[in-house]
Amino acid sequence: MSVPAPIERIAAAHARLAPRLAGGAAWARRRDAALGSLVARGLPDRRDENWKYLDHARIAEYAFDVEPAAPADPAAVAARLLEVAGAHRVVLVDGRYDARLSTMEARAGLEVVDLAALFERNPEAANSLLRRPGEKADDRYALLADAFAANGVLIRVAAGREPSGPVCLVHVATAATPAVHQARVVVDVAAGARCTLLEHFVALGDSAVLGNLAAELTLGEGASVSHLRLHQHGPEAAQVETWVVRTAARSRYEQHLMALGGRLLRSNLDLVLEGARAACKLDGLFLVDGERQADFLTQVTHRGPATETVQDYRGIATARGRGAFNGRITVEASAPGSNASQSSRNLLLSPLAEINARPQLEINVDDVQCRHGATLGTLDDEHVFYLRSRGLDEAAARSLLTFAFCRDLIGRMPLAPVRDAAEALVAGALTDRGPIRSAS
Amino acid sequence: MSGDGTPILEVRDLRVRAGERLILDGLSLVVRAGEVHAIMGPNGSGKSTLTGVLAGRPGYDVVSGSASYLGRDLLAMAPELRAREGVFLAFQYPVEIPGVNNVYLLKAALNAQRKHRGLPELDAFEFLNLVRAKLASMRMDETLLNRGVNEGFSGGEKKRNEIMQMSLLEPTLALLDETDSGLDIDALKVVAEGVNAMRGPGRAIVLVTHYQRLLDHVVPDHVHVLAGGRIVKSGGRELAIELERRGYDWLKPGTAAA
Repeated sequence: MSVPAPIERIAAAHARLAPRLAGGAAWARRRDAALGSLVARGLPDRRDENWKYLDHARIAEYAFDVEPAAPADPAAVAARLLEVAGAHRVVLVDGRYDARLSTMEARAGLEVVDLAALFERNPEAANSLLRRPGEKADDRYALLADAFAANGVLIRVAAGREPSGPVCLVHVATAATPAVHQARVVVDVAAGARCTLLEHFVALGDSAVLGNLAAELTLGEGASVSHLRLHQHGPEAAQVETWVVRTAARSRYEQHLMALGGRLLRSNLDLVLEGARAACKLDGLFLVDGERQADFLTQVTHRGPATETVQDYRGIATARGRGAFNGRITVEASAPGSNASQSSRNLLLSPLAEINARPQLEINVDDVQCRHGATLGTLDDEHVFYLRSRGLDEAAARSLLTFAFCRDLIGRMPLAPVRDAAEALVAGALTDRGPIRSAS
Repeated sequence: MSGDGTPILEVRDLRVRAGERLILDGLSLVVRAGEVHAIMGPNGSGKSTLTGVLAGRPGYDVVSGSASYLGRDLLAMAPELRAREGVFLAFQYPVEIPGVNNVYLLKAALNAQRKHRGLPELDAFEFLNLVRAKLASMRMDETLLNRGVNEGFSGGEKKRNEIMQMSLLEPTLALLDETDSGLDIDALKVVAEGVNAMRGPGRAIVLVTHYQRLLDHVVPDHVHVLAGGRIVKSGGRELAIELERRGYDWLKPGTAAA
């Protein structure tokens, strides 16, 4: 007998699990509504234009119908956390906020709220805070997260404030057995506030864990957020994530997405520059070796006038790695005077590796400056020869050149421990496992 | 200047193809320790192919003939092995490699060579002192060290960087591919001083050039004219001067030599 489709297993798991989830009746109603909507529409598959490169069969192998095991020992989790000086730490263990592992100072203008507690205390406020996913076809994994969400977290930075250190939102998968975790995160950075937000994805073990994150970030007028995202999952772990970002006038948002681990990553970004002169800077990198897959969908909408996007995404695929970048920038009629530049550069290091890059611009108003471009290539033979002619062996030359391809992206991240961790992950992929060597 | 006369490079009847085209067609050349040879010739005569083949640039087919370096089969060696054994190619078009630091490359290159020779790696202090001295001698700014390899360098800076690398690596056989092209007169003098400083009894230098102006500053022991993929005339420095005066046409195959 064949395994039931994920959606059937999801419905069955929901029936068993949902009654025991936290957050009271208001959240339960939301979850039920989300599940109903999801079941009616199904999960995306390769017939969906924006999902056609994703390995849906692989996702279907994850244990949608398994009840999450008890989370691992906090000490084991603590050992895997990235040391960032002065950081305020918010830890989600298997999708659930863990206050014991989290550290934060209310004085810093920073507030961290357990969403389940908020739903119990003030369901109306909670409901209005949490976006209801499901308007868009690309939002169905967010709907899935909503259908199972419990103990999510709300992070708030008060108007005009700047926390004394970066806020580290750590997603830890602890399961020793196959599992699927859903997480719900809301970040609200009020007018004039500034914040560095680091998301770090780690897995304690090598088990086949799928994490599904639905998250939203709101920037108030003149707010500024630097959002670092370091994916460092175990070799069998997968992550699907949907970030919805809304930015008010004169706000600045920068994101650094580093997909450097895990069996599969699907990252969705839906960003709307709503207010006048809002700006975003998006850096992204995937490095897929072995049989790993990374699939980025970014949708940026210019709604306010004189808004600005600078997107620099890069991909490296070796061995049988597969990468996809599907990026759309839409400039609406309400956004004259906007600037957008989008660049997708990709490096294919093996004949069996695959990268699909689809940069797209849709412009609905005159008086804008937009450019985009995509490249797909291999290492330059003359560069390899130059380094070899100086005495470096071929594998070292190729590793060095591959590293050089993404080094400035890593270097642009504002936190040194994150840069170091990203460099170590890239260097490890390029040398320890030797994919570059076998590619030549 | 002469050395002990040991042959460093011996090329015998070398025939090399690039794609369908035969570029070198029976080239022979012997370069001995202490000698500076200039190889001149019109565009397309095979000058860059010769240095490329000797340094191990991919994309060439050796059809027949041989090249030996200190008695060993040079053409059988990987490019990095040639480098570690003391062959250096100064590129006609040094590549820009953003993201690879100059200082990193210099250190990796020097240490690869030292390791190959059973020498300990230089410590950071010794290495930096050495590199700083070499930079100063080429009148290059130290800030270049932490830039990408040749990144944003002017043409002259790239060529000086090649000579600086050469002086750091102290090759036994230096192949200079049109190192004078694109240099203004001041840069040409700096480069020539760098090359002259490298002349010595244990070292052989092959200068490939289109014009003889570099040879005003680096006086060669031997001058060869390469045309149609082989050496059609050899002589001393006076040959370079004659070429400057008469051009290359009189030496083209099928033209009666004067």
